[in-house]
Amino acid sequence: MAQMGLRIARALQPVAQPVLALAATLAVAAALLALGGHSPADAFGALVQGAFGSWNRFLSFTLVQATPLLLTGLAVAVAFRAGAWNIGAEGQLLAGALAGVALAISWPEASALVLLAATFAAAAAGGAAWALVPIAMKTRMGVGEVITTLLMNFVALFLAQFLVQGPLRESRGVFNMTDEIPAAAQLAPLFPGTRLHAGFLVGLLLAGGLWLYMSRTPGGFRVRVAGASPRAAVASGRFDPARVVRWSFLASGAIAGLAGWIQVAGVTGRMYEGLSPGWGYTAIAVALLARLHPGAIVISAVVFGALGAGGGAMQRDAGVPEAWVRGTEALLILALLAVDRGFRAASKGDS
Amino acid sequence: MNAADAHGDAPPAARLAGVTKRFGAVVALDRVCFELAPGEIHGLLGENGAGKTTLARVLAGLLSPDEGQVEIAGTSVRLRNAADARRLGVAMVHQHFSLVPRFTGFENVALFNEGAWTPRGRATPGYRAHVEARAAELGLAVDLDMRADQMSVGQRQRIEILKALMSETRVLLLDEPTAVLAPKEVERLLAVLRRVARSGTGVVLVAHKLDEVLSAAGRVTVLRRGKQVLAGPARDFSARELAVAMVGEPVGRDRFSDKISLESDGRESADVVASLTDVVAGSPEAPSLRGVTLAARRGEILGVAGVEGNGQRELAAVLAGVLQPLSGVARVPSKPGWMPLDRGEEGLVGDFPLDENVALALHDEPAFRRGPWLDWSGIKKRTKALLADADVAAPGPEAFAATLSGGNQQRLLVARELDRSKELLIAESPTRGLDVKAARAVRRRLVEFARNGEPPPAVVLISPDLDEILELADRILVLVRGRLLPVGPSDRSATAIGALMLAAGDAVGRR
Amino acid sequence: MADVGVFASFLAAAAGLAIPLALAALGETVSERAGVINIGLEGSVIWGALGGAMAGLAAGPYAGLAGGAIAGTAAALLFGLFAVGLNTNQIITGTAVTIGSLGFTGAVFQSRFGATGLALELKTVPSWKLPLLSEVPLLGPVLFDRAPTFYVVYLLAPALWWFLFRTRWGLALRSVGEAPDAAHAAGIGVIRTRMLAVLFGGFMAGLAGAHLCLVHTGTFSENMSAGKGFIAVAVVVLGRWNPPGVLAAACFFGAAEALQYVLQAANADLPYPLFLALPYVLSLAALAGWFGRSRAPATLALPWPR
Repeated sequence: MAQMGLRIARALQPVAQPVLALAATLAVAAALLALGGHSPADAFGALVQGAFGSWNRFLSFTLVQATPLLLTGLAVAVAFRAGAWNIGAEGQLLAGALAGVALAISWPEASALVLLAATFAAAAAGGAAWALVPIAMKTRMGVGEVITTLLMNFVALFLAQFLVQGPLRESRGVFNMTDEIPAAAQLAPLFPGTRLHAGFLVGLLLAGGLWLYMSRTPGGFRVRVAGASPRAAVASGRFDPARVVRWSFLASGAIAGLAGWIQVAGVTGRMYEGLSPGWGYTAIAVALLARLHPGAIVISAVVFGALGAGGGAMQRDAGVPEAWVRGTEALLILALLAVDRGFRAASKGDS
Repeated sequence: MNAADAHGDAPPAARLAGVTKRFGAVVALDRVCFELAPGEIHGLLGENGAGKTTLARVLAGLLSPDEGQVEIAGTSVRLRNAADARRLGVAMVHQHFSLVPRFTGFENVALFNEGAWTPRGRATPGYRAHVEARAAELGLAVDLDMRADQMSVGQRQRIEILKALMSETRVLLLDEPTAVLAPKEVERLLAVLRRVARSGTGVVLVAHKLDEVLSAAGRVTVLRRGKQVLAGPARDFSARELAVAMVGEPVGRDRFSDKISLESDGRESADVVASLTDVVAGSPEAPSLRGVTLAARRGEILGVAGVEGNGQRELAAVLAGVLQPLSGVARVPSKPGWMPLDRGEEGLVGDFPLDENVALALHDEPAFRRGPWLDWSGIKKRTKALLADADVAAPGPEAFAATLSGGNQQRLLVARELDRSKELLIAESPTRGLDVKAARAVRRRLVEFARNGEPPPAVVLISPDLDEILELADRILVLVRGRLLPVGPSDRSATAIGALMLAAGDAVGRR
Repeated sequence: MADVGVFASFLAAAAGLAIPLALAALGETVSERAGVINIGLEGSVIWGALGGAMAGLAAGPYAGLAGGAIAGTAAALLFGLFAVGLNTNQIITGTAVTIGSLGFTGAVFQSRFGATGLALELKTVPSWKLPLLSEVPLLGPVLFDRAPTFYVVYLLAPALWWFLFRTRWGLALRSVGEAPDAAHAAGIGVIRTRMLAVLFGGFMAGLAGAHLCLVHTGTFSENMSAGKGFIAVAVVVLGRWNPPGVLAAACFFGAAEALQYVLQAANADLPYPLFLALPYVLSLAALAGWFGRSRAPATLALPWPR
């Protein structure tokens, strides 16, 4: 009986926090909407309608918006799991996109399959390379990754600007963007008539793979131990946690790099400086809402994708500015932090 | 004779009357009385965990007592924090954490002293010269412009003392000030303290090294397990009496089996599963292990006695293979069992369920792999078996480690680590913080394991608890200041080992 | 002659771009010296801009500056309640405050001024022409015939240096960032010190935001902070957590950005985004110790008690 209760409690515990945070966020958002003279019901209604109102809306807007969040969310989760505070997914995403685009437009004669593999590899390598600087500074000089990854984001942004204005600028020379990548490099739509591309599938596969890796393999187990308690990891005598952290950080950069290239290959077809509206930062919220669980990140990314996709509808149909969506995202992060603190305080009070 | 006598009828600089302090269920101080006269050096003695530091922290305002009274200069006071105590002239020199590493010596002195500042927050003119003069007066050689993190331990300590003595100080508390010093520095420190006492300040010297205390202190107080067991003029007691008071006479206990005699030293070297030869380890500037040689043999419990901080952690880490020696040779099995000192932080991961905590030690063993995957059902099964076997009170393998009591955590840890190695088990203070029943169970398991394993493994028991060492160990070594001293068969008593542990052998000889 | 004119306009632009960065970065310097990195600074800047615009519209430009500073402080208060009060992760909290501030300022602005955000025209803060100093050739008009926010920076950089390194409270504040346990042992209120430092950072960032709309542009637009709060964090790194150094670093960032406009205007075919990236690369190099040892406060971004 007690066993049963414990099992249920344990099964619910990871869910309780996000649900509580979501509820608190909705309540505060509703109150703020009412305060701002909007009808919360209308606003939420329009948002849900806009995100889930039809198959096409769901696939072409919500899931398309969720794709980069899913991938960057996974990237952030891999690093955070290992205790590496990678705030640099944004820069790694841009670096990956640049690497992929540079390869794709300079190699138009390659066959589709080769180009697909090569561009994915290039993007992963680009993102990883961008993470390499903070990793090296952390291991060699003991400089914390928080500031360095943040600075690298800006370097990536200006590097992207430079490249799309200069060396990689489209041959027409009209706009600050690259030429369109060859069709062979583009990701096919998953369903005819929708904009949802194979990149979402890649994200799902990656989430599934990471889930298996983290929960079922010795390597993933080590990542979790290294993040949860480096001292216990050392004392186990089985592995060097610092090494595990380095590799996780590198993998995180690679996944963020993939996110950038997949956005280009699946949606824009070109690289331009405003490619990402800050996915690398929103990804932190996506990963936290999912409590860093790869499977739950799929759901969390869809939630954030729906917020993004429904925001436009909310503005159009309920007259609530789209900017509310970003505010609500922030409320969600703060609610998660507060709920997490509350749970910690409660569990400390118990023991 | 005694400096305290010179001050005649002056009220005590500090007095504790019937002070009790509890941490949860643990009683750290049990109705302790303590009196410090102005101008005396008072030795506060006791083993690790006897309550010395707790007493000092109560006086320094860092802990508030649950019961009893604190008096400073004859007035009963309630100290809410360190600043309160400071205002009343009580200063404490801590073992750790009280200098800002990247501040210079002068900045550190100024940070802690009102006198360094004008009411408007600017530096008092001439304060620097004042500090220098005070340092000279006390005979403290300090470099005020050097950053604390670039100073040697001794230099840092002198800054700490100077910092404490820059303002009117009635009571100066020093927590284990000699533990980190070389013998020469100890002498210099004691000379400084004598000078300080002569000026009328009462000095409390918290220590576990008898000879130093005896050479400086006018009076001594001994604590054991939170109780005051002895107090009076130092000259009234021999080192031996103090040692006995500190460690207590060994109490009657059940012996699990006959000891293997020390003469078995000449047994086959094939039985040696781990050996250290002239191992130096720790930081290159001040190694914690300074040439340690030992051999752990199958079927034997090797007891390493000694007060914590004498290289115990490093010895365990070297044996466990997670710390590489700076020099010397360490031959250790690749995956020994290890019950680390801090079981909540190092042994177990509190946020993980029990099965994952078992996996922490076992996850790369072939038995728990299925191809590239971890065999969680196998691990869970093993966890259940371990829980049952070790009699751990836990709801099941899904329970989080942090929710278990200390005793149950340790039972699980014992079971897991015994399960892990058939060659060597390193046990660091395996019964610390456990109640009598749990401690007994853990000890029994260790002995059974060492005797009845197939083949019997070697157990290295590192513990400051002498009773435990005497009860369990077949052979005893004492770790003092990074060196191992052997204990001969005739010295197998708490007092003899206690004397070695306290590095008081010389003092005993002299008396 | 023309070259002198171009150079003067470059200097004027550089100073104009450097001032808001310097305001925010000087505040952040104090906060980081106390051990708190506030990525939510961007949020304080944008709230400062909106607060400045609204108060400026209602009661004139000087009231606008005050309103902006207060709005920025309020955003920092939210950050501080979480990151210092609840001990939440500083980076995540700061990110949330920034994202939320960019969103909610937009929402407030649109509900107040319409969805299109009609071009708002604000009365700007007049220049204070300093006698004598403004007569200095070239630099005079660039530096000493400007809005009062400029003079705040000139005075604050040395004043903060003096505060941090020459006063008791500065020493206490730095000890909180370097070794909070030791500071606590010395009787210093760690939480209170950190909170006040964060609020000061928010105040200054709010002033920076108000400067953007009441001095620099004379209008408000959504997201007009344009990353200035983030850049300020980089400025602090390059300035090595030392107020005069931070001012110099802000000038460098400002110059790099001004160069972009000059080069664009001159139609020069130069890779100006690389000039913009340069300050960040140098900040990284500074962290890597290329310009001598430069270390962040020891407990920067770490919660206390741990």
